[in-house]
Amino acid sequence: MGSRGSSMNNVPNAEELMQETGFSAAHLLRLHERFEFLDRDNRGHLSPEDFEAVREVAMNPIGGRIICSFFPPGQETLDFPSFVRILAHFRPTEKHRARDGAQSEPANSRTGKLKFAFQLYDLDRDGKISRAELLQVLRAMMGIQVTEEQLQSIAERAIQEADLDKDDAISFDEFRKSLEKVNIEHKMSIRFLE
Amino acid sequence: MPLRTGSRSSTGFGRSLPGLGLLLLTVFVLLECSVLSVGASSSSDTRPHKKDNNSVGVGNHNITVHHIKKAFPVLSFQYDYIKIPFEISLWVLLASLMKLGFHLIPRLSNIVPESCLLIVVGLLVGGLIRLAGEDVPPVLDSKLFFLCLLPPIILDAGYFLPIRPFMENLGTILIFAVVGTLWNAFFIGGVLYGVCQIKAAGLDHIGLLPCLLFGSVISAVDPVAVLAVFEEIHINELLHILVFGESLLNDAVTVVLYHLFEEFSMVGTVTVLDGLLAVISFLVVALGGIFVGAMYGFLAAFTSRFTSHTRVIEPLFVFVYSYMAYLSAELFHLSGIMALIACGAVTRPYVEANISHKSHTTIKYFLKMWSSVSETLIFIFLGVATVDGNHSWNWTFVTATVILCLVARVIGVIALTSVINKFRIVKLTTKDQFIIAYGGLRGAIAFSLGFLLDKDHFAMREIFLTAIITVIFFTVFVQGMTIKPLVELLAVKKKQEAKRSINEEIHTQFLDHLLTGIEDICGHYGHHHWKDKLNRFNKKYVKKCLIAGERSKEPQLIAFYHKMEMKQAIELVASGGGAKLPSAVPSTVSMQNIQPKKTPAPKPLDRALPQLPKGREEEIRKILRSNLQRTRQRLRSYNRHTLVADPYEDGFSDLLLKKQKMIELEKKIKEMTNHLTVPAAPPDSPTMRRARLASDPQAYNMKPTDGVPAIKVDLASPQSPDSVNMFDEFKRADQQIPGEDQGLIMRPPAGSSGPNAHHKEDEPRDQQKLMRCLSDPGPSADEEEGEPFLP
Repeated sequence: MGSRGSSMNNVPNAEELMQETGFSAAHLLRLHERFEFLDRDNRGHLSPEDFEAVREVAMNPIGGRIICSFFPPGQETLDFPSFVRILAHFRPTEKHRARDGAQSEPANSRTGKLKFAFQLYDLDRDGKISRAELLQVLRAMMGIQVTEEQLQSIAERAIQEADLDKDDAISFDEFRKSLEKVNIEHKMSIRFLE
Repeated sequence: MPLRTGSRSSTGFGRSLPGLGLLLLTVFVLLECSVLSVGASSSSDTRPHKKDNNSVGVGNHNITVHHIKKAFPVLSFQYDYIKIPFEISLWVLLASLMKLGFHLIPRLSNIVPESCLLIVVGLLVGGLIRLAGEDVPPVLDSKLFFLCLLPPIILDAGYFLPIRPFMENLGTILIFAVVGTLWNAFFIGGVLYGVCQIKAAGLDHIGLLPCLLFGSVISAVDPVAVLAVFEEIHINELLHILVFGESLLNDAVTVVLYHLFEEFSMVGTVTVLDGLLAVISFLVVALGGIFVGAMYGFLAAFTSRFTSHTRVIEPLFVFVYSYMAYLSAELFHLSGIMALIACGAVTRPYVEANISHKSHTTIKYFLKMWSSVSETLIFIFLGVATVDGNHSWNWTFVTATVILCLVARVIGVIALTSVINKFRIVKLTTKDQFIIAYGGLRGAIAFSLGFLLDKDHFAMREIFLTAIITVIFFTVFVQGMTIKPLVELLAVKKKQEAKRSINEEIHTQFLDHLLTGIEDICGHYGHHHWKDKLNRFNKKYVKKCLIAGERSKEPQLIAFYHKMEMKQAIELVASGGGAKLPSAVPSTVSMQNIQPKKTPAPKPLDRALPQLPKGREEEIRKILRSNLQRTRQRLRSYNRHTLVADPYEDGFSDLLLKKQKMIELEKKIKEMTNHLTVPAAPPDSPTMRRARLASDPQAYNMKPTDGVPAIKVDLASPQSPDSVNMFDEFKRADQQIPGEDQGLIMRPPAGSSGPNAHHKEDEPRDQQKLMRCLSDPGPSADEEEGEPFLP
């Protein structure tokens, strides 16, 4: 990690962030160190290039989308609180949410995680995964080895299976329904962030 | 293994009749068995006499040949010649009939698990044989058990092991298997030694090491028993894989402990050095077993790469290599079970990509069959061996053992879970813990290991065996019978009978990539990171080596999709017998017949299967019917040497894809040209010919009046306007001419670009089609295709 040691004092709004996202102090510290490591030019905020500098992310088939998901539409910089908020989606789900008064759906609940994943499909943010968006994702994941027709068939079938209201696109509820048998709480959690 | 019981259980009285018939048959078989064994003893009695005759007669010519002239035997009785195979076959037949019988009596199989019934049958048979005055054959001979009965079950388990949940829970499984078994062994052994010290029990002669040996034998959860019981309760995947995985992986621990204590029981002491060596031995046994298994697995996969011309023996490679892996591991005292599991798990993905569909089915069903018979036989033999052995019943020892087994298991599970839950994302609840503890069944492996003990070195062998059998009976009967109602009572989550949908597959892969990316961003080398690395390595190097031809580059999603489509098509044919199929009619009529039936939007039927528009169903049905027709015709002259590689088969899935594409596009175009009736084109334009050729090369040579309706022009004609379009597209895609392929490029997200693209592509075609339809349909089909096709 970076040679700069950081303590909780360096972390802006630490208390607030901990309250909001549920990270512990230790985790927040670790994330802050990582933030500073990624922020090579020491600007205090991240840009897409900083993410792309991580080699594995560049190799990832959907790396571009992941990077984009960190940045709200139109913005090119990412500050630490936003960074943490996005990563909060990947905390393991707690069984009981004793925090009342907090927002109705914490980021790391099943719905929160699914919403985040949905956004990665639905790049134009119209609330539906259209056929073209699905095709894009499939193309990205499968590369050049697959013919157009095969992709079409798969996309067609996927939409047929999931699309309940027949609008030729997958809405968030349909997305959620098609994943009801998958253990999202397990699949979309990183143990590190506990 | 659940059987299909459907047809027989109709009316009440009619239900019991076949069951009765079966029972009568079984009794007959049993009687025959006992009669023959009596006959065997009598015939074997006569043999020594003959020997005496000969030995006497050597020196004396006159008496040498005691041939009494009797009539030429029209029918003679020669039991010895066939004795062993005959008896084996009888046992197998008995086992299978029993299995059949149980499922004909439905109420029984709901209450009592199969394993219990089979043990009871074994007890009966053993009792019968004993009554007949014969020696009960030592059926559960350890060699027979470990070399013949156990491998099929383990191979079946390993080949069909669900890799994903197994790997995800590997840490938990390993902790239960290794630490749990160690704890059980030492706890049971130690406390039993304490119990033996009680003067009143009369067990002083059992030293500490024999006790520990006994502990290690009895502590291992048995995969056969677990499989048998858990199969029937349909518990959720997580618990199933936890208990089952534990039962598989604890073999290494058992092997090491067993050999350790057996060796040193005779010497009498165990030093620290021995302990250390034991730990090293454990690692060698476990990792060595896995290594041997993986090696044979890769060999099998590599071999299957070249079997495209000898499809008939493909399954054999899988079986033989796996068995060799088991035997090789046993040769070096490594863990044979782990070798088998590793071999099966490693072989499967590569072999399945290489072998034909029929071989795949063969492997699946042979494995299921063998493992089913093996399991049945094991339980029956357990019953027989119970009747047989010399039992030495000691109340103290036996009750202590049973209680200790339960107590040790419960304490072990609770303690380990509290540690494990700190590291798990999805914690194990109390209900889960209870099921895990309760599912710790002992079985035939424990018995066989006890049986292996040398009588001379271990005077207490009989006591041990009795106790082992009691524990096995207790776990199988009591725990086996009550686990089902307990599962219901505790409302434990059941297995979700879901077919994996394509959506799940897509999204799961997507999430894998997402999580890998997030882990990389966080700089955390977690679970996903390593899995991703392994996948990349696999794709880049291993697959190229082990998978033949083009399939090595096929992404997993495509393979999954093909499998789904084929399965669905076959299901449709199997179930869609009642639907109307267009028979052999001339093309014009069929065209108009079919069209009104097709509805653009699929009706929402049941959501179990994704619905297909009716036309597509029929097309698929036609394809499959034509396929089956051809198979039937070919089978008229069956000779296994001339069983040619199905020229059809390898391209079948591609074909199916193409057909569906045809239908899809046709559907879309129909939606847009809803009110247009399309008169059919004459059957033999070059496009049609090519379409037919592509679908059915042999059919082309057949005359249309051959009475093979499915192969007729029906296939091509409904899509006559469209097949052109489709082939255009196909050809373009195949040749990768980017410029022409405007239709469905990925555009940057612009919302409704999807449907627009469709329209744009189809519009010019629509225009042409319209014009063509209104004008002369036939020859102008040619004008559509710019370039000449494949010949």
